[in-house]
Amino acid sequence: MSADVGPSQSRGKQKHSKKKSKRVGVRIDMTPMVDVAFLLLTFFMLTTTMAKPQTMEINLPPDSGVNVEVAESNLLTLRVAADPKDTISVFYNTGIDKPVRLVGKNRTDCIAALGKMLKERIKSNPKLITLIKIDGKARYVDMVDIMDELNLADITRFSLAPLLDQDRKIIEKI
Amino acid sequence: MSKKRVGFKLDMTPMVDVGFLLLTFFMLTTQFKPEESVEIALPDSHSVFKLPDADVITISVSKDSRIFLGFDSQNMRSAVFGEANKLRAGMEVKSEQLANLLVQARTRNPKLRTVIKGDKDTPYEVIEKVMNVLQKVNITRFNLVTNLAK
Repeated sequence: MSADVGPSQSRGKQKHSKKKSKRVGVRIDMTPMVDVAFLLLTFFMLTTTMAKPQTMEINLPPDSGVNVEVAESNLLTLRVAADPKDTISVFYNTGIDKPVRLVGKNRTDCIAALGKMLKERIKSNPKLITLIKIDGKARYVDMVDIMDELNLADITRFSLAPLLDQDRKIIEKI
Repeated sequence: MSKKRVGFKLDMTPMVDVGFLLLTFFMLTTQFKPEESVEIALPDSHSVFKLPDADVITISVSKDSRIFLGFDSQNMRSAVFGEANKLRAGMEVKSEQLANLLVQARTRNPKLRTVIKGDKDTPYEVIEKVMNVLQKVNITRFNLVTNLAK
């Protein structure tokens, strides 16, 4: 595999009387170039990521102290307690009912149960407003998962409130 | 009786052509992952909004509750963090400084969109604090960055 540049070698020889030698069939070995090209191709193919991260959009009401009056019966409260990793404890109640703990074998089951519950609730009461109270020590992923389930259940209006000590007392009893 | 194949030649030109075509494609479409100020494991969601390409303020919250503020353009970075820091993807900020910096950035470029990039294991109280700051400075629309759940 060598670059053979044929006729140009004969240029120096005296045998040829022609002053201008025609360069016919110049062949350059392209193998190294192609090798490099394919190397680069492999590199770019392997490093490219086509997917861009997704985002969840949230609209907050402006901070102007507007109070929204909601009928107790339309209010679904979700309370999330701080839990060790890979578990989640969600307590839900409508109005002034006693909170109920969502049961599930593991975290994924709990989230699925939450989704099911939300879909049933919104079906029976389309005016439902959800209030989410999350413990400060809980994980961020809990909030995202709950919001995701709300979005999947087409509940687009919900509020976030801090979990107060009185809420903590309520869910501790269960 | 076996025939010996001597000097077997195959025209590689079409393959090489396609190879170069693909190479050009990948070279032009590739975008190197922007440098992260801190490593963050994103939570999953079923949301399908895409992250906007430009004019983004990124508030990253790491696992150990540190808050980083980042911009996608160097101009914004040098305007907010100073010329010396314009090459850094994000700067660590205290939650008390955050409101001020956000207002400063948004007066410079009102088109900026805010995204929160929180780690899965961040305590919720930190995110809550950031969201309260956003509400206080009237950024009522923001996005939470997530990965697409399968």
